[in-house]
Amino acid sequence: MKHDDNLAGEMQRRGVSRRAFLKFGSYVASLMALPPSAAEALAEGLAAARRQSVIWLSFQECTGCTESLTRSYAPTLENLIFDFISLDYHETLMAVSGEAAEKAREAAMAANRGKYIVVVDGSVPMKDGGVYATIGGRTNHQILEDTVKDAFAVVAVGTCAAFGGLPRANPNPTGAVPISTLVGGKPLINISGCPPIPEAMTGALAYVLSFGKLPELDHLGRPKAFFGETIHDRCYRRPFYERGEFADGFDDAGARQGFCLYKVGCKGPVTYNSCATMKWNGGVSFPIQSGHGCLGCSEPDFWDQGGFYRPLSTPLGAMGPALAGAALAGAALGVGAALSARSHQKSYLASAEKEKE
Amino acid sequence: MELLAFARGQALTFSVAVFVLGVLWRLVGVLALPAWRDFSPPREGSAPNWLSAIRAIFRKMIPHRTFLKEGMFTTVNGYVFHFGLGVVVFLFVPHILFLRSLFGVSWPGLPNGVITGVGALTAGSLLVALAYRLTSPVLKLISRPNDYLSWLLTFLPVATGLAATAHVGPRYETMLALHILSVCAFLIWFPFGKLMHAFLFVLSRGATGIRFGHRGAQL
Amino acid sequence: MTAKTTGSGVAFDAQGDRADAERRDAAMQAFVRDFARTAAIHMESCLRCGMCANACHFYVTTGDPKYTPINKLRPFEQAYHRHVGPFAPIYRLLGLKSNVSIAMLQEWESLIYDGCTLCGRCTLACPMGIDISELIKEARHGMYRAGLVPDRLELMDRTAKAWGSPASPAEDFADIIRETGEANGVPMNVDLPEADYVVTVAPAELTDHTKALSDVARILNKIGVKWTYSTAGFEASNIGYINGDLPLQEKMTRKIIDNAIAVGAHTLILPECGHAYGAARWEAARWYGKKLPLRIIHMTEFLAETVASGKIKLKKMGETTCFHDPCQLARRGGVTEAPRAVLKALGLDLKEFEDHGELAWCCGGGGGVVSNVRADPLRFKAFSIKRKQVEDAHTQHFVTACGQCRITLALGAKHDKWDQKVESLLEIVADHLED
Repeated sequence: MKHDDNLAGEMQRRGVSRRAFLKFGSYVASLMALPPSAAEALAEGLAAARRQSVIWLSFQECTGCTESLTRSYAPTLENLIFDFISLDYHETLMAVSGEAAEKAREAAMAANRGKYIVVVDGSVPMKDGGVYATIGGRTNHQILEDTVKDAFAVVAVGTCAAFGGLPRANPNPTGAVPISTLVGGKPLINISGCPPIPEAMTGALAYVLSFGKLPELDHLGRPKAFFGETIHDRCYRRPFYERGEFADGFDDAGARQGFCLYKVGCKGPVTYNSCATMKWNGGVSFPIQSGHGCLGCSEPDFWDQGGFYRPLSTPLGAMGPALAGAALAGAALGVGAALSARSHQKSYLASAEKEKE
Repeated sequence: MELLAFARGQALTFSVAVFVLGVLWRLVGVLALPAWRDFSPPREGSAPNWLSAIRAIFRKMIPHRTFLKEGMFTTVNGYVFHFGLGVVVFLFVPHILFLRSLFGVSWPGLPNGVITGVGALTAGSLLVALAYRLTSPVLKLISRPNDYLSWLLTFLPVATGLAATAHVGPRYETMLALHILSVCAFLIWFPFGKLMHAFLFVLSRGATGIRFGHRGAQL
Repeated sequence: MTAKTTGSGVAFDAQGDRADAERRDAAMQAFVRDFARTAAIHMESCLRCGMCANACHFYVTTGDPKYTPINKLRPFEQAYHRHVGPFAPIYRLLGLKSNVSIAMLQEWESLIYDGCTLCGRCTLACPMGIDISELIKEARHGMYRAGLVPDRLELMDRTAKAWGSPASPAEDFADIIRETGEANGVPMNVDLPEADYVVTVAPAELTDHTKALSDVARILNKIGVKWTYSTAGFEASNIGYINGDLPLQEKMTRKIIDNAIAVGAHTLILPECGHAYGAARWEAARWYGKKLPLRIIHMTEFLAETVASGKIKLKKMGETTCFHDPCQLARRGGVTEAPRAVLKALGLDLKEFEDHGELAWCCGGGGGVVSNVRADPLRFKAFSIKRKQVEDAHTQHFVTACGQCRITLALGAKHDKWDQKVESLLEIVADHLED
């Protein structure tokens, strides 16, 4: 692979026109809600960029994020992004395996020192020396540290990488941690979701590629362009919520009429993602549209919010025992207080009687 | 999300437990005090004690006309925010779901627009009540920290709830967490301050009802 | 026993020579002693809504917020929360409610004795149904034990202890009865060993309103029952009840009840006096711990039942009147129909005040205020409400059924140089008996 040529030249050789570049530029720009002028800048930036070396590390994960990315229904986009980047290491997608694969990673790191991007999906187990996930005898933690050291930026893809996800769910047996805790000061983008929306991954990468910097991020390190609004605020069922029309189950009249799924546990109001606007499978649908509430998969600890079907406004814990204990203690304190007041009165009565005598 | 999980989790469990503990402590602490037995013969034809108590509980819902001359504002404004709080607390669907999770029963709610309107009215009514407390010479004299704290802890859930709905202030999940935490503060203070009147009014009116009923006097 | 003033310039009287802390503790203990369930519930329940202020004749006529009824309880609320309430241990532990200071008690003396007639109108205004006037009566128990009582009330207390009545020595009682009977030409019964009816009196009847003594006799003679006055138990007004002197309240109560039982009476008739009704009708049994073997009825109830039974016939007057409901009789005693029935039997057309019956405005002199000369200016202010009511009624008569109310109203009229006679229901009935 040649790295000294810019993308424009390479694309031209492959028969990709300048017009296609501009089209892609305006697509990404509109996805990320950039001003119209950015479309051209983005295209120009991409054209001038060199093919970007990307090392994709997979730790405690399920490969769903890769599935999501590769099964994107925007073939042009997918083709383009894979054309723009040189995916130098990706366990699932690369042909070689074993030592040859690790060699490829090392070679790419050496050739692109300080310039390559590390994409991580999956969380890193830290308990017991990180023995719960190793590749070639090295723990995920070691591999991550090693790889990130000379990287330009890190992209944590999927909720496991971004926030720990399922591996970190209570009781977190492997001591899983999100990537953000292990990369020191390296620039980091979190693209959360289980899996993330493909366009969010490609859009963020394209932005970094074109502008050579990170897009605007929210307080959890996620691009605001994709994670700036809640599912609830953009949900097409929102009017039902406002009118107080709810499905009480998944097969009742309300569900059939497409009413709001708040009562059956939808986490849309506190979940920041683009599902409701960009949708999935090429804009066909998204969970709420197909009749299931949002799980809140792009938010930290979404596994531990007391159950997917528990409404957002209900308490998380089981209150029974605490309340029973409190009731008993309260009654006991009440009786105690009354007895103390009674003895107070009695002692006074006794002294008053004495005075009478 | 962490703050929200804390609010929905430990904070809510703790505050509801404190609420239960405090309410029982106070009620039992008062009810377990000795009572003077009244050996005087009741007025001829007077109602049994339980009936006098119940009558007083209802009778006291509306002041005598003569007391409304000066007390119209206190009464009407009091009704407005009590009614408003009742509607918002018991007829907003997310709140109904909360109550259902505690008591296992639910009922239909009102559209959000109505709730928001009533919530705004309630907030306004509470502000007016505070303004009155701060300006009336009588109320200034008799008010204690208890009154202002109880006011604040009633106002905060209304204000944070409205802010969360209107997307004012911090992010929604933070606002929602603050809303729940403000309710927690309300619940924790409830048994120890005058908010407890929500339970005590039954006892207080009932006791006087019994005394007056026994004497054949009108309340 | 000298008039003093607190640091804030409020006059107070103090009896005895005791250390401040001792006084304070005595007040608190006496107050705590009475804390039964109902009082505790009421101490817990105030919302600070201020509705009680406009129910109080002293607040309404002075506009001074300190007369807000619930404010009169302030030191005792503090004491309740520190000593009796369910959270008392916590309050003490955290020092959240300090011990009541003697200065505070001194300052509150005038609010509890001068500034409250125990009329209970505030109780009706309270949306929580807090019986404020009952709580103030209990607060007086503490004040009395602390020796912080207006000197005039304390003087009556000592007189009652010495004489058995604040008005006249017991030795003179039989003579007063006989002399009154002779003066008015009515045969009197005093100290009969046995009787069905025992009649008791109020201080005013031994001084200003002696005609009432023979008026009762005239009616009882007319219906021909066995009745008597008794030197051993004649004084029904209970200064102990008013002052908060519980031992004296018990003593005064036992005197009239024991005597009535001794003469075998089935009915004890209380004089036209409000607080006598409160002390005897509702609280007498408290001292015996059981149901009493006799009826205790107010003069007004006696008149009503006698008229209703047809045992006496009354001449129709055919005139107009207004009626002042004594607080202890109407609002706190439930006797509102009886006087109206009697007025009707007299052929008097009753023009009701706007606020009457249980809502009646107090005369301003109840709860010892009329005897407490220190409170005169305040009392005269409160009188303006009653005066306006009477003037607006435009009637030929102005009647009431309580001697203390009558004195208060007459004093108010005199102070205002307002020519208005205040009549007694009993006296009108006696004056209109058909032969």
